[in-house]
Amino acid sequence: MVNDLLTLAGSDAGKMVIGLVGVLAFVVVNALALTWAERKIAGHMQRRIGPKEVGPFGLIQPIADAIKLLGKEILTPAKADRPLYFLAPTLIFVPVLVSFIVIPFDAALQVTDINVGILVILAFSSVTILSILMAGWGSENKYSLIGAIRSVAQNIAYEIPMLLALLPVIMLANSLSLKEIVEGQRGLWYVVVQPLAFIIYFIASVAETNRTPFDLPEAESELVAGYHTEYSGMRFALFFLAEYTNIFIVSAIAATFFLGGYQGPVLPGIVWFLLKSYFLVFVIIWLRWTYPRVRFDQLLNFAWKGLIPLAFLNLVITGGLLKL
Amino acid sequence: MNGIIEAIKTGVPGVEPVEVSYPEKGYHCALQASPDQLIGVVRFFDERRFYLECLICTDYADYLELVYLFNTHLAPCRAKVAVKIDPRQPTAPSISALYASACWYEREIHEFYGVLFTGHPNMAYLFLHDGIDHYPLRKTRVPVPPEDRARLDSFKPCEAEDTFFINLGPQHPSTHGVLRVVLKMDGEYIEQAEPVLGYLHRMHEKMAENRTYQQFLPNTGRMDYLGAMSFNLGYVLAVERLCSIPVPDRAKFVRIIATELNRICSHLLWLGAYLADLGALTPFLFVFDDREAILDVLEGVAGSRLTYCYFRFGGLYNDVDDAFIAGTRAFVKRMWSRFSLYEKLVTGNVIFLNRTRGIGTITREQARKYGVAGPVLRSAGIACDLRKMEPYSAYNEVDFDIPVGEHGDVLDTYRIRVAEMENSLRIIEQALAKLPGGPFMAEKVPKKLKPPRGDVYQVVETPRGELGIYIVSDESDGPSRMKWRVPSFSNLMIFPELAKGVLLADAVAILGSLDLVIPEIDR
Amino acid sequence: MGERGFHLEKEIVPVKFALVEKVLDLARANSLWPVTFGLACCAIEMMATAMSRFDLDRFGAGVFRASPRQGDLMIVTGTVTKKMAPVLTTLYEQMPSPKWVIAMGNCAISGGPFVFEGQYNLVEGVDLLVPVDVYVPGCPPRPEALLEGFLKLEEKITGSRRFPRVESVW
Repeated sequence: MVNDLLTLAGSDAGKMVIGLVGVLAFVVVNALALTWAERKIAGHMQRRIGPKEVGPFGLIQPIADAIKLLGKEILTPAKADRPLYFLAPTLIFVPVLVSFIVIPFDAALQVTDINVGILVILAFSSVTILSILMAGWGSENKYSLIGAIRSVAQNIAYEIPMLLALLPVIMLANSLSLKEIVEGQRGLWYVVVQPLAFIIYFIASVAETNRTPFDLPEAESELVAGYHTEYSGMRFALFFLAEYTNIFIVSAIAATFFLGGYQGPVLPGIVWFLLKSYFLVFVIIWLRWTYPRVRFDQLLNFAWKGLIPLAFLNLVITGGLLKL
Repeated sequence: MNGIIEAIKTGVPGVEPVEVSYPEKGYHCALQASPDQLIGVVRFFDERRFYLECLICTDYADYLELVYLFNTHLAPCRAKVAVKIDPRQPTAPSISALYASACWYEREIHEFYGVLFTGHPNMAYLFLHDGIDHYPLRKTRVPVPPEDRARLDSFKPCEAEDTFFINLGPQHPSTHGVLRVVLKMDGEYIEQAEPVLGYLHRMHEKMAENRTYQQFLPNTGRMDYLGAMSFNLGYVLAVERLCSIPVPDRAKFVRIIATELNRICSHLLWLGAYLADLGALTPFLFVFDDREAILDVLEGVAGSRLTYCYFRFGGLYNDVDDAFIAGTRAFVKRMWSRFSLYEKLVTGNVIFLNRTRGIGTITREQARKYGVAGPVLRSAGIACDLRKMEPYSAYNEVDFDIPVGEHGDVLDTYRIRVAEMENSLRIIEQALAKLPGGPFMAEKVPKKLKPPRGDVYQVVETPRGELGIYIVSDESDGPSRMKWRVPSFSNLMIFPELAKGVLLADAVAILGSLDLVIPEIDR
Repeated sequence: MGERGFHLEKEIVPVKFALVEKVLDLARANSLWPVTFGLACCAIEMMATAMSRFDLDRFGAGVFRASPRQGDLMIVTGTVTKKMAPVLTTLYEQMPSPKWVIAMGNCAISGGPFVFEGQYNLVEGVDLLVPVDVYVPGCPPRPEALLEGFLKLEEKITGSRRFPRVESVW
């Protein structure tokens, strides 16, 4: 019986199942940890302490939040478009989970190494936009609609510099597979060779995840709560969790592409990978509590007239230098 | 002053302007006009670049009196125009074509007194709602006739093909308070903005008629809870002017120290709230830290953290002690060092500058026509500050500047408020150095005040701008009519004009820069 | 003055709550998300309670949600006028259960200093519109008073109090 289980676990299918379970567990723990980290970091930056009473250092706070959200009444607005309204929070989790499948946490810790790994991630991240639009339209609420429309325009505009910033690294590594990109940084991290691409990618990813200074879709002072105004309880929690997991994914991709992934001396690979990713997550949280919001037309101008030409130029120069 | 009286005599036939003693009344000349002569008089003042300070209606039993107060920004020259109208059929010509600020004043008088202004474009409800079936401020109960009710109830936003209506408020995620603005949107651009007021109408003016002068003191702090000291100060100065009560020097200096501390408090909160509107949440917490330092100092003498009631007729409630002086000195020293923090965090921030430069530009003519006040007025380039124009308390004994802007945009209002905070610190330092000894309260202030019959008008400069208090006394121990001319009301009038054709985000930025406090608008 | 506390005596509770209910109550009490509903002067003191000096976030209540669908606590801070009353009830109805209401300030408790003979626009107390759980008196109440109101609400939800009660000296 046990032998059967072990052979099952050792097979490819078995490894994938264990990987998926591990990914799901990681997503949940990561989201909880990030909500705690955001409130604590915000507190310390604002000369106060943040959650403290609920467990030591407030560590049980996210669990209390989750249990409370589970116990909330589930409301549906009377005029909401039901299929869209119900599907949106679940759909927003699909790209998140798929992206985790291809990220290499360590040399051996990757659910599966698809040879077009980054293409999978970029393709599925467009599903996020779809689900935000579904949430905004299906809520039958003007504020949600405006928030969703803003989000669509913003995400479309910033996906392009994201891709253009990743392309030079792909050209340098000569592969679309994330594992090979990390392996290609044995000698030198790509951030040294492509600093501009790193900065462009980072800014575009902050915009993709709808974080301040690009958080217009949820602009509190203008739009009540943006596209998730009409969601309550666990459905709202799903949006929240998806946002935090997205933050981790874009940081993980930045760490993989530019900062050497799981490579590093002494400590095991996964520790280095998590250190690098969480450092970038910290920077994203730091940005939220420092900067005001950009106005919508300034946002789009910045993308179309600023980032895209710059990223394109970088790509052309890299291509030219590689040829020579 | 003589110049204006001669000019009126020649310019407008049939009216008899009279020179009036400014220390007794608060205005410089007065004239009576009939409703037919009104337009001619108003046109006269408009040509000489006066602005309409206030439009007041008072119910004397046999007649209703409309009082128009005109003033200039260049030199103190206040003219009072009084028009008597019949209480059974109250009508008067509307001057909203000449002065845009009269639009809302006339709407207010219409719903509170029932005066019909002929030629007014829109007589819908401003403060009240259809549950109130009488004209509240009339002395006897006068019910609203059906045709007037139809006129009042005529604001019903309806959606067209390409536009939709969105409500900004009355519940806000930020600190605006209960203001509702109905925006007609074309995508992200605003076609029309219509504020709906009255969600916090707490009947201060009706209460004033039911209270004695002393009993009304706590109300003044609740009207503008951020600048409560200046509202307190305006009220006690008005009653002191009415009853000719002298104030000892020590009280005068302490009054300006407390008022300037309160001004810094108010501007700090505006700064934090404005940046929270723009999306930066951290400065909000830093300014509350600084505010707590001020509140601790003021709580020691005034007893309250927010809605002060510190001044009394003839002086103060409580003398200041060494703890107050030491605390104020320590705060001033700390605050000077904080400006560099705000400079780095806010003023140097590229995103903030892009959000505020060139937004919501006000021209001088617009500022005059709408009667805006305070930092908004000074951002348009008009150097008018009542602490220098019509000095009260001990302001003529301290030395300070009036910061003035150049472009009239939102960034200028920000810069002016920061500069005003620095000037307030200078005033406090000088006042502390010059603080005289002596009594803090005048002797023999009667418990039951017996003011003479008549009216007074007192102005002070609150953090939001010019506050005017008009008191009509009928020799009893409470006012017969008290009208508050508040700066936020005038500043809000210019918002629909500025919001046309701008993005929603810009409209929020403009609304925040006007620094509105809703309880004083709704009174 | 006498003890005016709220106690859940074991003997007088006729219904025994299961462990799940206890855990849910603990979670709800430790994660009360207020809806931003500042009406008047008390709103400034509520903001001061959420700021660095008094820090409401310690108790998990620092996340002020703008949308009523995502909040569970409505702190009515300020005067409720007849024009505002329908807005308040609409917002209350939009909040999903379980929800609580704290009436902060004298105006929300009973009309405050604005009650006078002949008043025409005041709702004398928000408990005429929505059920109120905790009343915090003051004009405006100090931030410490609002924190005490919070602790009292937590005691009402869970049955036990977080910090010991401060005994009155008079």
